[in-house]
Amino acid sequence: MRIVIAEDAAILRDGLIQLLTDRGHEVVAAVSDGDALRAAVAEHDPDVAVVDIRMPPSFTDEGLRAAIAIRRERPSVGVLVFSQWVETRYAAELLATSSSGVGYLLKDRVADVSEFVEALTRVAAGGTALDPEVVSQLLGASRRGDVLAALTPREREVLGLMAEGRTNVAIARQLVVTERAVEKHVANIFTKLDLPPSGEDHRRVLAVLRYLES
Amino acid sequence: MTWQADTIMIDQTLTPSVPDRAGGASRVFLRAPIAKHTWGCFAYLLICAPLGVVGFAFTVTFITAGAVAAVTFLGLPLIGFTVLAGRRFAGLHRNLARKMIGARVDDPAPFQRRPGVLGWLSAALADGTGWRALVYLLLKFPLSVAGAFGAGLFWVEGVITFLYPVWWQAFDPTNKDSHGHVHHAGLQFGDFFFETWPRALVVSAVGLVAVFLGPWPVRGMAALDGVLMRRLLGPWTGSARVRELEEKRTHAVEDSAASLRRIERDLHDGTQARLVALAMRLGQARESDDPARVRELVDSAHDSAKDAIAELRDLVRGIHPPVLDQGLDAALATLAARSAVPVELHTHVPQRPSPAIETIAYFCVAELLTNIARHSSARQATVQAHERGGVLRLEVRDDGHGGARLGAGTGLSGLDERVRTVDGTLTVNSPPGGPTTIAVDLPMGV
Repeated sequence: MRIVIAEDAAILRDGLIQLLTDRGHEVVAAVSDGDALRAAVAEHDPDVAVVDIRMPPSFTDEGLRAAIAIRRERPSVGVLVFSQWVETRYAAELLATSSSGVGYLLKDRVADVSEFVEALTRVAAGGTALDPEVVSQLLGASRRGDVLAALTPREREVLGLMAEGRTNVAIARQLVVTERAVEKHVANIFTKLDLPPSGEDHRRVLAVLRYLES
Repeated sequence: MTWQADTIMIDQTLTPSVPDRAGGASRVFLRAPIAKHTWGCFAYLLICAPLGVVGFAFTVTFITAGAVAAVTFLGLPLIGFTVLAGRRFAGLHRNLARKMIGARVDDPAPFQRRPGVLGWLSAALADGTGWRALVYLLLKFPLSVAGAFGAGLFWVEGVITFLYPVWWQAFDPTNKDSHGHVHHAGLQFGDFFFETWPRALVVSAVGLVAVFLGPWPVRGMAALDGVLMRRLLGPWTGSARVRELEEKRTHAVEDSAASLRRIERDLHDGTQARLVALAMRLGQARESDDPARVRELVDSAHDSAKDAIAELRDLVRGIHPPVLDQGLDAALATLAARSAVPVELHTHVPQRPSPAIETIAYFCVAELLTNIARHSSARQATVQAHERGGVLRLEVRDDGHGGARLGAGTGLSGLDERVRTVDGTLTVNSPPGGPTTIAVDLPMGV
């Protein structure tokens, strides 16, 4: 993958470069603010950008603004937003502008290197990667809580993993059940939530999230 | 450290050089008749004479009328109107006094109108500021009469007496004594006539003395009016105190919010980032097959962990220095030992101040010592902490180049605000060229 990194803490920026390079990816640019990020994306046209939400000059959400702008202007570039805390509003804004190729992870997730790189790859390929924390907050913030109440605990668990962007195979592995069982749960979820099933993984996720946000 | 200031502005000291005291006094005395202030006071007394009469007449008439009419539905509104009109009169008097005699009197809180006619009436009748203004108008009458006809006339007569030889010669008045002899004098005591030049000059000399003495009763009466005005036309001392407290509370709240933001920023950019980096390296190490690479990653993670610990330690010390738990002496000794400029420390605080005061005292000294190291180019500093009569006095002195100032946006004014939140004071004495002494007085408890 060709990657652009936007992160203002030098120690994390260097760490990410090293980590991704070790894994055989190419970091084409590493910058420390939103404007520089947009310039770097325009110049290098990377597969994916890793973006810290809080960066100079205002240290609020310039990373998120830049990420949304990039998604709008260059749909081919995946954006993984990377933050030290979860803000449901940020996740909702990000998902509202873009139906695919987005991710929102807590910075802690980088400690599980393989999973992090996997999530980044998924986003670069046009998929979704949402932090479990983000998902649970979105579920909690949803006004359709009463509809979700119809789901069994297992189905909620599966819905959560789906929302994170996992495939059925990954969900089955995680829950230590067969893929067939997961498919059944997914079908049940769609029925209960009144959603027609679709072939593609990320579409399912976004459909679910759209439903949650409505 | 969260409390440290980044800037101290440089300027001149506010302490004027003290002139020769006797020379200064005689100069003031000789200049008084032509001083602008004297003339301002004189004009003020003249204007106040008619104003005093009008204000008095107005108050007496309308309050009496209102009281008499109180049996009808017109009485109370009339009194309410009078009370509010008292505020208008008060405003006029305040403006005059500020402009003409330089009185320092603040505006009271504006009238708190309540909705509806009855609301207006009850608010007006209960308006303390308006009633106090009416009391002022009543007292102002005798005061203005005494001012204009006592002090004012005395001075005018002094001038007339001083000019006696002039008008005595010009008009050449003719008068007869009890024996029928004709005299030519402008002034007489019984049969004693001031009709010769030596006598006329004596009169003129007496007038001259009166000309120089006259300004003082004039100024005195104006000053008396100023005092009365501050009492009756200024903000009510109770409400002034409330306003002061509100201001302090705002400072305190803003200060703690700013401190929290700084702490959050320090944690987010520093410790949290380091811990993420540490976890990232360990994650990489766990998934690496190359022993040399693992070693390298663990080393780097180890460094990150140590940095994070050091940062946390600084941060914790910035929030509440643990050494303060052992008392202010111990905490100040630690500060003194850590200071870049050598510090001589004297403490005598037998009783422990309240924890909030100890914390403020500690951070004041910490910041002042940091300022000394950064800005003063001092070679030696002294820190004193003494308790006397329920007041904790901190004094931080240095032999640097001076010029420290308490101006907006400086680190010192930040300290000053913090000190004032607990009714403390901060005084700066820092002439250019030094030395600088900064004294902080704090109550022992909040």
